[in-house]
Amino acid sequence: MRNASDTSTPLRRGSSAVQALRGAGSGRLGPFAAILVVVAVLATWPLLAGNPYMLSAGVIVLNFAVFATAWNLMGGLTGYVSLGHIAFFGLGSYGTGLLVIHSEINAFVAVMAAAVVVGLLSLLVGWAALRVRGASFVIVTIAIVLVMLLVFQSWRSVTGGSTGLVVPRPFPDLLRPEHHRVFFYIFLGLLLLVLVSYLVVDRSRFGQALKAIREDEDKAQSLGIPTAMLKLAAFGISCFLTAIAGGVYALWFGDLDPIFQFDVVLSAQIALMALLGGVRYLFGPLVGAIVVGSALEYFLLNFGETQFHLVATGLLLVAVVLFAPDGVLALAAQLIRRLGPSATSIREESAAEVRAQQDARALAERVEEPGADATTDREDRR
Amino acid sequence: MSDETGPVAEPPVDGDDVVLRLVDVQAGYGKAALVLRGFSVEVRRGEIVCLVGPNGAGKSTVLKVASGLLAVRSGSVWLNGEDATGAKPQDLLRRGLSHVLQGHSVFREMTVEENVMLGGYTVADRTALLDRVEFVKGVFPVVAERWSTTAGLLSGGQQKQVEFARALMVRPDVVLLDEPSMGLDPKRTAGMFEQVARLREAGVAVLLVEQNARRALEMSDIGCVLDLGRVFVRGPAQELLADPQLSDLYLGGRPAAS
Repeated sequence: MRNASDTSTPLRRGSSAVQALRGAGSGRLGPFAAILVVVAVLATWPLLAGNPYMLSAGVIVLNFAVFATAWNLMGGLTGYVSLGHIAFFGLGSYGTGLLVIHSEINAFVAVMAAAVVVGLLSLLVGWAALRVRGASFVIVTIAIVLVMLLVFQSWRSVTGGSTGLVVPRPFPDLLRPEHHRVFFYIFLGLLLLVLVSYLVVDRSRFGQALKAIREDEDKAQSLGIPTAMLKLAAFGISCFLTAIAGGVYALWFGDLDPIFQFDVVLSAQIALMALLGGVRYLFGPLVGAIVVGSALEYFLLNFGETQFHLVATGLLLVAVVLFAPDGVLALAAQLIRRLGPSATSIREESAAEVRAQQDARALAERVEEPGADATTDREDRR
Repeated sequence: MSDETGPVAEPPVDGDDVVLRLVDVQAGYGKAALVLRGFSVEVRRGEIVCLVGPNGAGKSTVLKVASGLLAVRSGSVWLNGEDATGAKPQDLLRRGLSHVLQGHSVFREMTVEENVMLGGYTVADRTALLDRVEFVKGVFPVVAERWSTTAGLLSGGQQKQVEFARALMVRPDVVLLDEPSMGLDPKRTAGMFEQVARLREAGVAVLLVEQNARRALEMSDIGCVLDLGRVFVRGPAQELLADPQLSDLYLGGRPAAS
């Protein structure tokens, strides 16, 4: 194949670092390697964490990271911002808890079983919710959480209501620090799973279509893309992964209360994490989860159970909107671009443009012949 | 096919090189008066048909009817000799009709490659798709040149070429172009018309709606002057251009010293 694209480098030069951030490098395996490196770095946390508290904080942050990355598969790729993903997280945790309590099956099989059921359920919910766009979609997703909260608080005979539901631990003989350590690695494995899932979707034809929906749904439809079906599929995958995170959380924490499992504020914080890190970036939600998650823990630790951590969350949101509207990673990418060779000045660009057009005309003269094909082999379109 | 559109669904009579045919179409929006009142047009393979006429004559409505975005009240639509009245846009796309919408319609945040590949979303056969990519790169050099560039960074004229290339990805028999010169400066407009001619050379039929009537007619084969939802006059584009009366009425006076 004639590689004409090589002449169009001015805009690409110096952007490889940016592409690495995006997780969309030109190499096919690059981003997968990046995931492995990131996961390997995170795996050192239990060695660095001085005490069980720091270890458990690590588990919480990883849980947020899994949740936010799963959220991003829908919110980031399609632009449909759901503030109701906690509903599927909560359903995953209650489903897992109830299965473990009432049946003999292995705890992790229970997680998967619950997640599959929740995933199917999310298709029903999504089928209704995805009929509306923009702000209406956001409101519908919030409503789902509130409905779930009411149901799980009132249905005491099954869920234990606000007294809570105690989930037996999968490893009863482990001491507390060991328990945290094991679950840290389980969540890390889960993070690996969601990052790879996101990357695979992001690079597929499916992912391209989702991004087209994000930019202009009507336009995407006019190209024959079955937008309704693809949105629903993305929503289902996202909710399935979210439910797995919820299920593992139930096994780790061991005590479920509807007010926390269906907490709208936490749901919004998850979205904030993704937005703060950068929804267009593979590692955006992870970065956001580390920043917001540690900030929340820090404020809880230093200011106790006051509402101060909520104020801090608000301030953080304001800072993001003001200084990094596209996320921390977008800001970083911008800085890298600024420090790199500046090849994209308008003047240079137009000089390159003129040259490209001259080349193009020469090229066009040579490839006029293929035009004849269109009339002769048009059968194979069908 | 649905027969509920009335009794006028008669099959095309003459040569099979007619790709798109609208027969006696009546159409409108909501309860308001009809926009098209018995409009007929035919577009042949390798031919550019240009619709001109004053604002509100129904030019864009013709394209909406042809691409299935708007249902006809009566009359019929034929694509490749088959009745396509009432067919859905997706269905028509598969049957060889591509519609390039008004205004800028590239996905600005995506690369040229991603834009073009999305055009071929409905093409399942991978090798056919790659063949097609090579083909559109040949027809529209900018697409090849800027393959990895974000589409939003291209100039308006270049974006139009990406749109045309995207429309060609489904190997259409007919392409509908709605105001392709919108938002382009005169120089880019001239370039754009060259690209439209390339579509014709690529063997597709083109149904074109343009404000820039004189320029559009100059490169078209057939001109079709629309007024009040009917064909006022139709004929070879050059003859229309030469008609002083038409010039005064619809083409903004005599050719300026351009």
